[in-house]
Amino acid sequence: MDENSDDKDPSEFAGRSLSEPARFAYAGLCAVSLGQLFREKEQRSYSMEFIEGLVNWLQLSDSVIPTMVAFANGLGGEGTDTFVQLLLEEPILKKSPVTITQDLMSFSLKDGYYDARARVLISHVTWLLRVPVEAMESFEESLIETLKERKPEPSETVDASRKKKETRKKLKRYFLIGLATVGGGTVIGLTGGLAAPLVAAGAATIIGSAGAAALGSTAGIAIMASLFGAAGAGLTGYKMKKRVGAIEEFEFLPLTGGRQLHISIAITGWLCTGKYASFAAPWHSLMQSTEQYCLAWESKYLMELGNTLDLLLNGFVNMVAQEALKYTVLSGIVSALVWPTSLLAVASVIDNPWGVCLSRSAEVGKHLAHLLLSRQQGKRPVTLIGFSLGARVIYFCLQEMAQEKDCEGIIEDVVLLGAPVEGDAKYWKPLTRVVAGRIINGYCRGDWLLSFVYRSSSVKLNVAGLQPVNLDDRRMVNVDLSSVVKGHLDYMKQMDTLLKAVGIKTKECHMSSFVRETMIPAGDSVNEEDTCIGTDNASEDCDHWCWEPVPKNQESPPPSTKASGSSIQSESTRIQNAVTPEDCSEVTSPCNNDQTQASCSSDIITDQEILSTTDTASPVPQREHCL
Amino acid sequence: MDEDVLTTLKILIIGESGVGKSSLLLRFTDDTFDPELAATIGVDFKVKTISVDGNKAKLAIWDTAGQERFRTLTPSYYRGAQGVILVYDVTRRDTFIKLDNWLNELETYCTRNDIVKMLVGNKIDKENREVERNEGLKFARKHSMLFIEASAKTCDGVQCAFEELVEKIIQTPGLWESESQNRGVRLANQEEGGRACGGYCSLL
Repeated sequence: MDENSDDKDPSEFAGRSLSEPARFAYAGLCAVSLGQLFREKEQRSYSMEFIEGLVNWLQLSDSVIPTMVAFANGLGGEGTDTFVQLLLEEPILKKSPVTITQDLMSFSLKDGYYDARARVLISHVTWLLRVPVEAMESFEESLIETLKERKPEPSETVDASRKKKETRKKLKRYFLIGLATVGGGTVIGLTGGLAAPLVAAGAATIIGSAGAAALGSTAGIAIMASLFGAAGAGLTGYKMKKRVGAIEEFEFLPLTGGRQLHISIAITGWLCTGKYASFAAPWHSLMQSTEQYCLAWESKYLMELGNTLDLLLNGFVNMVAQEALKYTVLSGIVSALVWPTSLLAVASVIDNPWGVCLSRSAEVGKHLAHLLLSRQQGKRPVTLIGFSLGARVIYFCLQEMAQEKDCEGIIEDVVLLGAPVEGDAKYWKPLTRVVAGRIINGYCRGDWLLSFVYRSSSVKLNVAGLQPVNLDDRRMVNVDLSSVVKGHLDYMKQMDTLLKAVGIKTKECHMSSFVRETMIPAGDSVNEEDTCIGTDNASEDCDHWCWEPVPKNQESPPPSTKASGSSIQSESTRIQNAVTPEDCSEVTSPCNNDQTQASCSSDIITDQEILSTTDTASPVPQREHCL
Repeated sequence: MDEDVLTTLKILIIGESGVGKSSLLLRFTDDTFDPELAATIGVDFKVKTISVDGNKAKLAIWDTAGQERFRTLTPSYYRGAQGVILVYDVTRRDTFIKLDNWLNELETYCTRNDIVKMLVGNKIDKENREVERNEGLKFARKHSMLFIEASAKTCDGVQCAFEELVEKIIQTPGLWESESQNRGVRLANQEEGGRACGGYCSLL
């Protein structure tokens, strides 16, 4: 387990340099968090392995393992407060609590495998230690930067080295991350083990010769190729070799060309002529990761569908009827709804392409599942984001994955917006096994189009895109988007706002945090606490997972979601016209943390406004890499 | 959890460093003794199911570290404990004197006021006794605790200590029922078992 303990100076590892009580608290904190985050039976073995590894990594005595296992099983129930307190009082951590995040990441990555659950855990622990999540992301980015600089290794060597890795377990000890602290920040060196001497030379400038010598001499360098998939080519390298099932088109297009330790895949629901003719168009502002792809699938049919939708909404059904429909649906009497004859007359126009795309999206989802299971994307967490039929692709992808073994730890978060899938909690239950982070269901109660296409279907009143999914799990997050989405087409047009509403990072988020970093925060800070819904989820002391689960036997959305719904609604007119920072932070409250919220708060405004309003935000997280 | 287990009880072992808390636990759970047992790190956790008066109880035992440097961790384990075993070393008077501090801490952090306390004077196999049995008994009476002298090395009184504690907890209404909802078993009126060392327990 601990191949590196014998040949490495413990002082190189921040985690090991902590005092014994602090190391115990550190391991305990992780164990308790694992117990809270991954209580399910299927995740048990991962938690146990992680804990055992961490205990060894921290050079704690094996005798603490039973205790840690008890923690992870939810025993002890003392929560994390004591551990956090003890850790924060540790001299090293007093200076930079981010050390734990960095150490935990080094530990998680030491085998060249970044599990989605590890990332969720790290961000949870980071949050518990009151470190802004940006610090974690910038640390990830600095890892990548280091890797990129050292990259000129041909793929053959990578392959060769990988083969060696398989055959000679002894070599395993080379695959660790050297860590050395310079001044305030921590620099990490990682690259192919073959390039080790070169790295040491380069790293000397950053780390200082002593640390670099340690890196080079013991070859304490990690091979991270496996993190990035086949020879680091990424998903764009994937081409569907043959026609699979009913799928005609399946390809990944890069959205942002960067490299990250986690990736996002965006899936478009339909295409239409004009501005939204490409798969990438709706996602122009998406910035969840610097490495993002969008899935190009069945463009022929999606284009047909999109144009039909356009025609339907802008031609056949007049505005008055649409408004009437919307409010009828909104008021919840959809079962008694009499569809306008004008609509029923053209029903076949929409039913046909819709039906075709429904079945295709399911097929595409299954294909995507197998692709992700085969780790074409590399061994790193994936976030899936999709709207309408794209959300359906994701849903079926997850369902398919849930049936396979080893499906855990691949998917971090999923975002389904206006998903035309079953909304019954029992169908969503299997998804919790696959998804490590959050399952976000963005719905619109007034989406009459969804109601309409499901008018004769058995699931017509239980569509996820129309209502919350009452799944009792910490992962499940329902966001009522009724005030932003005026009709199904808005899922494409309002994507920017929607992404913020469900807490996904957009380019402006990065921009604003960058701007803020360069500016000195002024005194008149916007009272973010006041503008955030569900006051509990904004408060620092509460577990940020707590607000997410939806109570089981509840007809209506959970309190926080409800609040968000109503508040969004009441603000809806303002959002439409001019979005103020307050509005945004309301909409964006499901963000992972306060800081994200803060950085989202100035999203929709123009650059100039950003400059003028960003100083209203609370103290700024340190960011080294922006955009 | 097994079907026939009546309840799960949380037991805490506290006391000064080196009085033999972990040894007592090890003797109780594994029936072994290791004279070179390393100091506990943070807290140790063991589970054992025992049968008292025909009722099976699962004990989740938290063995805390006595060392000062781990002291900050300990308070969080007091929460929700139904029983606590307070250990001192009969050959070291200082560990006996410090009992007051431990009781104070218990008072401060414990979430229940009806928690069952058991005082254990350990290492009675040793020659150089500094604390007489009577002193321990007196102290226990004063603070309404159960009392027993024991030796983890010779196995004296160890089993009895835990059994007494569990028996007392089960006899205390309201202390554990909430932990085992819907089981519908009430033992409140059960008469005290005819054991030789009931109540204030004394061996020797």
